[in-house]
Amino acid sequence: MKITHSIYVIAIAGFSIGLASCGASGDHPGYEYAPQMYNSVAYEPLTQIQNEQEGSWLSNREDGKGEFFNSNINNPHGMNMREPVEGTVPRTKDGSLPYRLKAFELEEAAKIQNPIELTDQVLAEGKVLYYQYCSACHGANGEGDGKAGEIVGGVANLKGGAYIDLPEGHIFHVIMKGKGRMGAHGSQISQERIWKIVHYVKQEIQKQ
Amino acid sequence: MSIKRSLTSVPLKLSTLLMLFFLMLGTQVFAANPEVSDSEEAIAAGKSIFNANCKTCHKLDQKSVGPALRGVTDRRSIDWTKKFIRNSQALIASGDAQAVAIYNEFNQLVMPNHEFLSDDDLMNLLAYVEYGDKADAAVASAGGEGSVAAGGAGIPSEYLTIILAVLVIVLLLILIVLGLIISILTKYLKTQPLDEADQEFINQKSDFKKVFRSDAFVIIITALVVALVVKTALDELYTIGVQQGYAPKQPIAFSHQLHAGQYEIPCQYCHTGVEIGKSANIPSANICMNCHMHIQNVGGKDGISPEIAKIYAAVDENKPIEWVRVHNLPDLSYFNHAQHVAVGGVECQTCHGPIEEMEVVYQHSTLTMGWCIDCHRQTSIRTEGNEYYDKLVQLHSGSKNALKVKDIGGLECAKCHY
Repeated sequence: MKITHSIYVIAIAGFSIGLASCGASGDHPGYEYAPQMYNSVAYEPLTQIQNEQEGSWLSNREDGKGEFFNSNINNPHGMNMREPVEGTVPRTKDGSLPYRLKAFELEEAAKIQNPIELTDQVLAEGKVLYYQYCSACHGANGEGDGKAGEIVGGVANLKGGAYIDLPEGHIFHVIMKGKGRMGAHGSQISQERIWKIVHYVKQEIQKQ
Repeated sequence: MSIKRSLTSVPLKLSTLLMLFFLMLGTQVFAANPEVSDSEEAIAAGKSIFNANCKTCHKLDQKSVGPALRGVTDRRSIDWTKKFIRNSQALIASGDAQAVAIYNEFNQLVMPNHEFLSDDDLMNLLAYVEYGDKADAAVASAGGEGSVAAGGAGIPSEYLTIILAVLVIVLLLILIVLGLIISILTKYLKTQPLDEADQEFINQKSDFKKVFRSDAFVIIITALVVALVVKTALDELYTIGVQQGYAPKQPIAFSHQLHAGQYEIPCQYCHTGVEIGKSANIPSANICMNCHMHIQNVGGKDGISPEIAKIYAAVDENKPIEWVRVHNLPDLSYFNHAQHVAVGGVECQTCHGPIEEMEVVYQHSTLTMGWCIDCHRQTSIRTEGNEYYDKLVQLHSGSKNALKVKDIGGLECAKCHY
């Protein structure tokens, strides 16, 4: 009687210790109850399982690969995303076309007018966007004193004499294509948003 | 052939000369051009011009993005200096050997024009450059050290654990010593003639054995053990499918603590999708390069850091960096960042925790359905300035409670599962 009793206790204790390794920590993501419902069968842009055997223990795929393998074998590096075909024109809300000027065509760019109408809401949005994309280097007030900017070095003081009278098209072009030590930000910020930042820089930071 | 060689050697020699100049900067005392005023007014006026226009690229006594400036009127004529400050590109285009040499030495970085500065402005600026803030360099480096030291304040947690461990060991030793004393005393007393009451007191150990063997005791202990084991087992069963605390090693040892914490780079600068799409997105290497084409090592060290070199390799070979995804929401549920961040105005830290303090990113929240639902029950909707909600606000105006996410379908199954 006593022996069976203690066997039960030991079995339950062992079971709970075994379970302790189910949680996630460090490199181990833990386990799931129904892994088929956790892993995407379709290609996902930001999740990619490259191991062809992953999930083969419950796989019924015709190609014999594991259930969870979801990389695209036809793409370079098995990636699930591809670069768009050359010359693709993205559809945008405001119907703007891709910016065609090259980095050195600054004088041409300076002639472009800001297509976004200046309103209080645009200024408010511009302020938020300026904080997100510019303040790390140019500082909250545009004086070139952002914390990251101090390490990068050579950040423009937007209130300095060399910059304060620059036309809006020039500012747009520099954000889009970069200039001097500043990198091109065209891939990070849409044209519409850049023009909003330009409004904020002209109206608030470079207010004279 | 020989002509060609001599042509290329001219800028080379000049640049080595320039290098020598800069190496000697620390020791040499410059005799500034006597035309430059050393009056305090001129220096003060020059300082404000310097801070507004020059500071981010130039230091007085140290090489920065551009050359160190002190002594420039000794090295060059005042006329040349003015020309260079006003329009350096014109001077370089005219073929001025000194201008071309310095342009090449500093990686052909174009200095902006300063044609708006008058002659007086420039003379004041030169006065500051020659006579202003002599302790500039020393102050800068002292400031840097101070901020590093401030980070190490407070007692580290390791010391606390060591102190605790020592205390526990001391207590255990005291217990052992007390036990020894008791056994010695008992042995001694057993040899002595004693009355009956004292005898019983000494031999009371046998009573403990009876208590241990009694049925009530065995049942209570077994029940306690079983309850404890069942509780642990249930708790563990709940952690299955929950990846809280998952902190995988990434291909590049990127520190959010350094970038988002110390250098205060806003999250959206790199995670550009967070306001416009379902996913916040992992930045591509070209976003890293906006800063890292200049910053090649951590803490201002020389050479290229092996971690940063991985970015350069990825860019050179056009090869993706294979980051390990930390937050794996199951495929059975839908989540949209733009909806929560752009419309709802939820801070990144609300779900992701203190990212700006994480050396290695870990999953802060449970990301379970209960966790989602909890927040949907408690969170009021930001309706101001969003006409999408006008009708809903109108319909809800009869209720005493604020308009929460749950009131507009935040608890519907099909909002997230479809």
